[in-house]
This record gives sequence, structure tokens and C-alpha cells, in this order.
Amino acid sequence: MGLAQGLAVETRGLTKRYRTGVLAVADLNLQVRTGEVYGFLGPNGAGKTTTLRMLSGLLRPTSGSATVAGGVPGSPGSLARMGAMVETPAFYPYLSGRDNLRVVARYAGVPASRIEPVLQLVDLTDRARHKFRTYSTGMKQRLGVAAALLKEPELLILDEPTSGLDPQGTVEMRELIKELRHGGRTVLLSSHLLNEVELTCDRVGVIAKGKLVAEGTVDELRARSGGRALLVRATPVDQARRLLQSLLLPGQIQVRDGVFSLAVEPSQAAGINRRLVADGVDVSELRVSEQSLEDVFLQLTEQAPTLPAPASGGGEKP
Amino acid sequence: MIASLRAESVKTRKRWANWILFGILLLTLLLLGYVLTYVLLSNPPPNFRSQVPARILKREVFPENLIPNVLAFSSTIGAAIMIILGGLSTASEYGWLTVQTILIQKPSRTAVLLGKLAMLAIVTLLISVVTLAATALTSYLLVTIDGTSSNWPSTTVLLKGFGALWLAFAVWTAFGMFLGVAFRSTAAAIGGGLTYLFVGEALLGQLLRNTEGVKEVLRFLPGVNAGAVNASFHLTFRSPDTATQLVDATRGTITLVAYLVAFTVLALLIFRRRDVGGS
Repeated sequence: MGLAQGLAVETRGLTKRYRTGVLAVADLNLQVRTGEVYGFLGPNGAGKTTTLRMLSGLLRPTSGSATVAGGVPGSPGSLARMGAMVETPAFYPYLSGRDNLRVVARYAGVPASRIEPVLQLVDLTDRARHKFRTYSTGMKQRLGVAAALLKEPELLILDEPTSGLDPQGTVEMRELIKELRHGGRTVLLSSHLLNEVELTCDRVGVIAKGKLVAEGTVDELRARSGGRALLVRATPVDQARRLLQSLLLPGQIQVRDGVFSLAVEPSQAAGINRRLVADGVDVSELRVSEQSLEDVFLQLTEQAPTLPAPASGGGEKP
Repeated sequence: MIASLRAESVKTRKRWANWILFGILLLTLLLLGYVLTYVLLSNPPPNFRSQVPARILKREVFPENLIPNVLAFSSTIGAAIMIILGGLSTASEYGWLTVQTILIQKPSRTAVLLGKLAMLAIVTLLISVVTLAATALTSYLLVTIDGTSSNWPSTTVLLKGFGALWLAFAVWTAFGMFLGVAFRSTAAAIGGGLTYLFVGEALLGQLLRNTEGVKEVLRFLPGVNAGAVNASFHLTFRSPDTATQLVDATRGTITLVAYLVAFTVLALLIFRRRDVGGS
């Protein structure tokens, strides 16, 4: 199975329980299609980095399996076709940026002629002769991306690439990620930043407490979580609530900060407005609201079931 | 493995810590083991007491005693420096998390570690060559200054001595490298290695050398076996502090080779199987 067959990453019941008993990832079934930018979204501690470590061959799964870039995670065949920056850009502090890339290129069996183009791509040529230990967080992140690109990989795995960057650096990194997808490259991007995923990714997988709780395009996720809502600001609130409760089902009405969020079709807006006004309620605002990815994310991650406690004596497989 | 070896060559050459360690080894060997020894024994203090006269003792630093003198020094300071060198080469990769950067490139874990081992073998070979050459030059200068004559060891003794030096350096480096992989911490690897060397081998090995039962255990320790190999290269005079060896040179050599293989295999087993990162 390879990238040409449509899936760059596929996991089947991937599970990781650490020796400490912590179940970090549970029965994860993930599919990343070739050529897409896939956002792997989840709060801190959700299991994103553990998953990416398993996909890179750094961690052995406790159970389940995966195919990454057409091979078993961590096998030379798989590694040759993927580039990754997992968790934090880790390089030799006593070497310059360029020498660090030289070391990585030698491990990867890549000609040294690849070093300058990737330095240029991440805009690090001017500082390439300086020691890694003198780099800012942004420069370290960019060097990490440069190292991941040395092999000209078909699959690029980036773990929180904008972590620790200032706003300018964040914008630049996003632009870079958009550039990287050219040429049919698949990008698997993990992040806890909703805005980042919304702006850069074709599809999103939401992970919470080690489980994949949703997968689809941003629009699909919005629709799955209720999609659009009708927002109504009306006074007196109690009178408005009583009327709305008589018109709609209880599950269709939510009130937050004095604003009603009604899960109804936009076509019902005029009728509801008419009934409220006729009943003597003042309506000061009435509009259709698209549910933000943030709302979807919060809804999905709060609903995620808590993982079962570790079995006694259970631990990571040797 | 070749890819890993090529990468290691950049890291090893450009790491100042390696050059500093080598500098410390050479300086202590040449200054303490040769120059200071010669100066003290050429002008012995009034309270100097020895069964062997100072004018004979100082011949220790002359070419005729090149091999036993270098080997004696290398089994203490040399062993310590090699443990640090080996420990740094592997444990630092965990400290900087560069182990995960390496392992997501192309080579297998076995190839990565074998490349590192091959580089360490080359480094210990070069250190052995330079150490022997520098001490030979120093001993030549000292005998010239002294105005006396001294014969160089035969080619056979020189080659055997060089082999013994390289083997001892390789074993201690492999020990440090193994500790680095096992502990994943530079401080623990170096601290553990030096504690073993100076407390386990040197102190207990000397104190309990003649205790029955313990003696049997001591026969299997790398330091004791390295000492037996070193002792097979005799000084040209009978030294009063020569200790009785617990094993002969042949068994010592075999045991050291066994340790070299054991440290390598154990490090490989751990490195191949263990998860990188996570809690």
C-alpha cells in the first residue's frame, strides 16, 4: 500500500499505554488522504504528540497498527518518504544551523546540495552559520521545518509548528505550510490552535482524551455539531423564554449572556420574530450565526468520554 | 551504517568537549606522567625514600619503558576520560532530544548505533596513536635532556602495547556509551561510570584483592583484566609496588574483548527496543 493508492497515513486501532499506566491514545482510526493538509486538532495532553511519535516510529504502539507513507512506521522505507518535526525542533547546540542540516542530510542520505535550498525556503540563510543555541524559538522552528524538508518528502508531519512563535512568526509559518502543500505533498499538522487549523487545513481530525472524536472538513464538523443557529436578543428575557419554550423543543434553545441561540432553520426567523413582537417582547437583535470551529471543538472535546483507568498491573508491552 | 558514520564524523569533529577531553588526557599524561616525574626524580627531595634509587626510577619515563608507563597511566586517567567520551556520545543525544531527530531520518536504529560505535572505534584508535606518539616524543626529549641513552622497545612490543592501549580505551569507551544508552542521562552515565571505576575497581579492587571469594569475583572485572594485560609489559627495573595479578594477560585480553562485545550488544538491544519520548 503506498501513497499512490490514496492514503498517506492510515491507523487501525492504534493504542498506546505508557509504562506508568497512562492510556495516551486509544483505538485510534485515522485516515489522511494523499495531497491534503490534515489538521490533527486537540487540547494539550489529548494524545496528538504520542500519535505522531508512533507514526514516526519513535514509540511502539501497545496495540493496533499503522501504515505511514506506504510502510510500517519507523521502517527505512517509510522514513525515506516522510519528513517530520515532532514536539520540538531538536538539534545539536554546538553546531551551526547549516552544520545541523549537514548532519541530518548525512543520516538521511541526501546530497549536501539540498541544504541551501531548504535554508532559503525557511528564510534562514543569513543565520545559517550561527550556532543553534543562539537561535530564537521561531528560528528553531524554521530549522526544524527545513530539516523535515531535506528529503523532499511526500508526507510531512509537523507537530505544533507555530508553538512559541510571535504573531508575525505564526503568520509566516502558516504561509510556509500553504507553500509546502504544492506538488501533491501531504501535510499532517497537529495543533491545539483552532484558527491555525481552520486557515490551513482541508480536513480535520479532532482528538480528545486519546480518542478521535470527529473527522471531516471544517464545514462538515460545523454541520455535525448543529451548524447554523438563530441568535435572538430579546427583553424581558423570562417572557421571551416562556414563549420560545412554547414554540420549540427544549433541546433547540440555549441562553448565554441574555442571548437565545435557537437551533432552527433561518427561514423560521421571521415567524419567530412576529410571535415575539405580538406577545409584547422587544427584539433588539435577530441574526443567523455560523457556529465557529471553536464552538465545535469545545463541544466535541467536552463530550469526549473519559478513558478507562489502567488495568492493575497493566503496562506497556515490552 | 555508513550514513550514520558520516553524520557522526561531523558531530565528533565539531564538538569542543571531545577536543577538551583529549587535551586533558594528553596534558595530564605528559605533564604528570612524564615531565613532573622526571623533574622530581632528577632532583629528589631530601626525605625521598624508595627501595629503588631515584636515578633508576626516573628511567620509567625513558623510551625503554614507553609501553608500560603509557598503559599504567591510561588505566586510570585514560579510562576515566574514555568513560566520559563514551557517555557524552550517547547520553547527550537524549539530553538534547536529538535522538528523535536522528531516528526519523532514513537509517534503522541498528545502523544509527553501529555508526556511532564505528566512529568511537576510530576516535579511540586516533587517540591511541597520538597518545603513543606524543609520549614517545616526550620520552625521547627527556632522555636527550638527561644526556643518557635508552633503547626503544622492539617493534613487536610496540605493536602489542598499542593493541593493548586501543583495546583498553575501546572497552572503557564502550562502557560509557552503554551507560549513556541505559541511563539516557549524561550526569548519570558519567557519574555511574566514574564511581564504578574509582570506587568499584580501584578502591574495592585493591582493598579486597586478597580476600578469598571476593578475589574470584575480581577476576571478572574489566579493570582487573586490563591491569593484567598492562602488567605483561614489564618495566626495565623491578618496581617495589608491583601488585600480583589475579589473571594472566591472555585471559585478560579475552575478557576485555568479551566486555567490548557485551557492552555493544547490550547497548544495541536497549537502543533498538526502547521507546523514544513520552512518559
